[in-house]
Amino acid sequence: MEPAERVDQNYELSLKEFPYIVRWRDDRCTRCGRCTAVCPVSAIEPTVQVQRTVTSEGTAPKPAAQRRLVHVVRQVRDIDRYCTGCGTCTLVCPNTAIEPEYNPQHKFLFHKNRGGAAYRRGGRRNDPQPSTVDQLKFVRISMLTDPALDAGRHEFRIRTYLGRNLPAEKLPLEVKRGRLARDEEAFIPPVREIYPIRIGSMSVGALSPHMWEGLAMGVAYLNEVEGMPVVMCTGEGGIPPRLLKSRFAKYFILQIASGYFGWDEIVHAIPEMTEDPAGIEIKYGQGAKPGDGGLLMAYKVLKLIARIRGVPEYVDLASPPTHQTKYSIEEAIAKMIQSMSMAWGFRVPVYPKISGTTTAQAVLNNAVRNPYAAALCIDGEDGGTGAAYNVSMDKMGHPIASNIRDCYLDLVKQGKQNELPLIAAGGMGKNGSLAANAAAMIMLGASAVDSGKYIMQATAQCFGDEYNRCNLCNTGRCPRGITTQDPRLYRRLDPDMVAERLVEVFKAADMELRKIFAPMGRSTELPIGMSDGLGCANREIAERLKIKHVV
Amino acid sequence: MVIKGNIKGRRVSSRELEAQIQRAVAEGHYRLTIKADGQHGIGGRIWPRGRKVRITVDGPVGQRLGSMGMEGTEIVVRGSASDDVGWINCGAEITVLGDVTNGAHNAGAQGVLYVQGGGGARCDTMTKFNPRFEPLQSWYFRDVGDSFAEFKAGGIAVVCGVEPRNPKNILGYRPCVGMVGGTIYFRGPVEGYSENDVRLLEMSEQDWQWLTENIVPYLKAIDRMEYLDELTRSPDDWRKLIAYTPAEKAARQPLKMSTVEFRRQVWEPEVGEGGIFGEYLDHDRTLLPYITTGEDRRFRPAWNNNKYLPPCASACPSRIPSHERTSLIRQGKLEEALELVLRYSPFPATVCGQVCPNLCMDACTRGVVLDQPLDIQRLGRLSLDIPAPEKAKPTGRRVAVIGGGPGGMSAAWQLALKGHEVDLYEATDRLGGKIEWCIPRSRLPQEVLAKEIERFRSLGIDVHLETRVDRKLFDRIYREHEMVIIATGAHEARMLRFPGWEDVIPGIDFLKSINLGLGPEYDFTGKKVAVIGAGNVGMDIACQAFDLGAESVTAVDIQPPASFGKEQEMARERGTEILWPKVTSKFDHERGRLHFEDGSAIDADEVIISIGDVPVLDFLPPGINTERGHITVSENGQTTDVKVFAVGDATRPGLITDAIGQGRTAAEAVHATMMDYDVAPELKQVIPYERIRAAYYESEPRDGFEPEQEANRCMSCGLCRDCGMCEVTCYYDAISRVEGEDGSFAYVVDDDLCIGCGFCAGTCPCGVWEMEENI
Repeated sequence: MEPAERVDQNYELSLKEFPYIVRWRDDRCTRCGRCTAVCPVSAIEPTVQVQRTVTSEGTAPKPAAQRRLVHVVRQVRDIDRYCTGCGTCTLVCPNTAIEPEYNPQHKFLFHKNRGGAAYRRGGRRNDPQPSTVDQLKFVRISMLTDPALDAGRHEFRIRTYLGRNLPAEKLPLEVKRGRLARDEEAFIPPVREIYPIRIGSMSVGALSPHMWEGLAMGVAYLNEVEGMPVVMCTGEGGIPPRLLKSRFAKYFILQIASGYFGWDEIVHAIPEMTEDPAGIEIKYGQGAKPGDGGLLMAYKVLKLIARIRGVPEYVDLASPPTHQTKYSIEEAIAKMIQSMSMAWGFRVPVYPKISGTTTAQAVLNNAVRNPYAAALCIDGEDGGTGAAYNVSMDKMGHPIASNIRDCYLDLVKQGKQNELPLIAAGGMGKNGSLAANAAAMIMLGASAVDSGKYIMQATAQCFGDEYNRCNLCNTGRCPRGITTQDPRLYRRLDPDMVAERLVEVFKAADMELRKIFAPMGRSTELPIGMSDGLGCANREIAERLKIKHVV
Repeated sequence: MVIKGNIKGRRVSSRELEAQIQRAVAEGHYRLTIKADGQHGIGGRIWPRGRKVRITVDGPVGQRLGSMGMEGTEIVVRGSASDDVGWINCGAEITVLGDVTNGAHNAGAQGVLYVQGGGGARCDTMTKFNPRFEPLQSWYFRDVGDSFAEFKAGGIAVVCGVEPRNPKNILGYRPCVGMVGGTIYFRGPVEGYSENDVRLLEMSEQDWQWLTENIVPYLKAIDRMEYLDELTRSPDDWRKLIAYTPAEKAARQPLKMSTVEFRRQVWEPEVGEGGIFGEYLDHDRTLLPYITTGEDRRFRPAWNNNKYLPPCASACPSRIPSHERTSLIRQGKLEEALELVLRYSPFPATVCGQVCPNLCMDACTRGVVLDQPLDIQRLGRLSLDIPAPEKAKPTGRRVAVIGGGPGGMSAAWQLALKGHEVDLYEATDRLGGKIEWCIPRSRLPQEVLAKEIERFRSLGIDVHLETRVDRKLFDRIYREHEMVIIATGAHEARMLRFPGWEDVIPGIDFLKSINLGLGPEYDFTGKKVAVIGAGNVGMDIACQAFDLGAESVTAVDIQPPASFGKEQEMARERGTEILWPKVTSKFDHERGRLHFEDGSAIDADEVIISIGDVPVLDFLPPGINTERGHITVSENGQTTDVKVFAVGDATRPGLITDAIGQGRTAAEAVHATMMDYDVAPELKQVIPYERIRAAYYESEPRDGFEPEQEANRCMSCGLCRDCGMCEVTCYYDAISRVEGEDGSFAYVVDDDLCIGCGFCAGTCPCGVWEMEENI
């Protein structure tokens, strides 16, 4: 058997099995090797190829064969070195000689389980179709009055509240001697006024230092220069102590998840903090990989990550799928929220984040009854991640639209819709329409939305998409330098540019939100739950979400 | 003419009033007094008739007074006016002796609006610019309301700021949003304007001249000439707002502050030098391009010359480096090449050239991936006449080798070459062992072996022939030598004890008797011969049986025949039939039948058995272990007695080349032990076929045999051919050839030029260049 294995193609896959086929143009290539030098997965390699031509010259058949050997760039047919379609080769090619092309007939998942290892990747659900949220339209347009709102000339105040808004009658206030007085002993839930699009949780570790700092700096810029109170969630993996002790800490939501990474450093730093954080997010689930914990591979755990997370270098960092020592929803919610609230003297909004699920309303009802719960964040199936099993990403999870809608309508029934904010995440901006998705979710009942993947794509030119392009986040070989701890890669990414792009993204999204909200006459308060302004051409969606069916 | 908007308490509709005015003008009236009652659009749409039409309006005025007003129309409102005075004014001169409410001159294009009081919200919005006409003028005596001059595109607005309703801000809240043209002159304080759209300037000389000239008719019209001095006291009291041009807007930075500045001025002063991760990062804080060199490369090339074994040497039990041999031939060093082989085997012509199955050739890359393998057999024969290599300096050490077969001779040869003294003990009267006894003469010309034995003896090894080593002698040898190598082979045929086995001829005895003339003489004329065991020795026996006159030879085996190559080929050519699976159950010599367990039988006058031989080890002391009749040895041939090594068939059955290889390995281990250095185990891995770029070679039929031609056919697996392909291939000139003083060469990489693209590795014909992680 040996010779056949060695020399024939018997065991090889045909290129047609691969998700991307590299189109290489011999006539344009100068053999400069830039493509092969940058390919993150070595899916292309230089090799040699024989070319043979037979010619006949003269007036009668007179065959002549010419043989020559040329150097070529060839796509590798090893499934472990499959072309991910990232296109870094195309990016660096000086002659437009190489480009990966999506192969819709691929059979990638039939083969990407060598060694019995289930396929893992980064990115999000590989479904390029428009999501439900993308199919929603804004159908209520006021246009005949002046002043109707004009996004261009009117001032808008696009803000939302993170924290429990007690109705007036429940506030511990009374009129004493003609003046409003507060009962100093009574608890008033902390509330932050924030921008309704937040940067979803992406950890130090999942992201490279350049990417993380770029985003953090952009957030500070938006707050301090543009006056937009955008907040960012740290993800699980701690927060750089320098940032925690700075005044910028107030723009960050600290996440605690089942791995509890980085929290000893945070607790040590509390006395040195000059500002309270914007909030505390308790992560119970993630939309991209419901029921699964986090995992940071050992090779990403370099000195920086190890210090910030409080672990040894070069070890796998797994977060279990659930928080341990919690045996009921009530206990999980109550125990964690109390603990986290105590850390900052009940001055910081603390809320749970769960993955989209049919059990979301059960969690919601617990949160409603818990006086310290500041919100509920639900992360739908289209959320992104740095590393997960493909099956978790592609096949598990709940769409965010109906999940948020059901929860909101539940709150309405209880008369609590203005009290406990819902935060929607997962696929916001999936097809590029961040503001429209945000507005649609707000009108379905969300108070705010989280966006992570869109932010990476828009601010750092992340290659990833729903045709499984790139999605190498889990490998530490991100060609853009976004999700790698290898300085040779992340030094490709300019944190100042990331910050600048973040500012631009938010300014543009802000304008788009105004464009959407203006004809609805909303310039000061968000149209939360204003579902009569929403329509959908798909009857099932319209009926399920209780919005207008428009065709 | 007086037109009444209310006749005896009945309000005239806007439509009726408009009709009356148009009729009056059509009839030639040019001075009209309108007693208005809130009618819409009074005084507009009176197209020029060569004479000015003067309209005075009294009473409550409706919206859009003077809207679409034309040049040649003069309207004076004796009191305040309602919204949208002068809407789309196209040239009318409108004077309002009171205030105007919202939207005065909205979308106005030409004409004049004189307001004696102030303006409401959204005055002067959407005003137009038309180069065919004089620009629009709007004059407000006091102040204006919010959202003034939004989307203003042309015309001049003047706000005098006299007794403003809001003394802190005479232009209202957020004026000039979307303003793209025109000018606003104002006098008094403002609280901001759309900085995106307009800029605030001091009055120029031209501005001042225009203002002071045009204010006079305005003040006269609104009957406020007494303010002339105050209003024209100094240009410093006035300022103007004009729109940015599109070019100016486009040139504007999109951000208020660059993020680079933000980092330097805001971020790092708060979080510390080097940013939030500064305390953890020790690399340069600069950016890297996608294409990098030096330590920033992801991969770096390595010229791994001769790091791997080529398939031929890897397959050769004697590890003969044929690739090095051909390399030397290509360099014109034929003698050296032929001598090189002698350093690995004393029998290149006899074994490689004649009796070896040449596993090297089966493995040869050229044969596997292209056409035919290198003719290593013929290359082996070329070394026949080469004298023994020069021996190393005498070491004064003495080693004993027991057995003068291929394994023992290989060990003795190697030890002698290293300068040791060797005593070689051989039981028979000649050297060569099984090569001499068991190989049919037809496969091995006697003179070849004789010549190589002669060369062997030229090294001065003390050969003790006819010295059978027994226990007693072994003990003496053991005492008198520093190390002992046992190479006594296997010389007793394995027999199967089926009924009639006593009549079976042991194969080894049969072969020996023919080659050496020992034992009984066989005559198989006309006889049917069966051979039990269809291995290569069985095939040799079959050939010999034919030579002795056998009518037919059948080889039987219980498994697929283990024979291969020349041996089987020759035996089959002679007519040998091979049957399997056949388990012999009985030999009936009298009837000439060989029976098998499956019930079948064949005719067999004589039966020869050749299922392997077992060593005779009666001389071994108890300290040397055996297993299943063979001496137990480690990888390098060491027995359980550290001083004693064993090689060849005494340790396990094998080919002659196996014994030669083991002899060399054991000799090296013995040498290392005596000279007290660690023996480096052979760790080289074989280079995979894919690494060899066979495409460089064209398949061509071999034409005769020339060493130089064979050397060129060699693909030089894992060994640099010195073709310079890498040097030429490298786009960045990062590879160069350097030569040592001893004539050696190497290809080296300039790390500052190399980007780690892998073209050198991908195109190296020999698979020498490899890409490594650049850590």
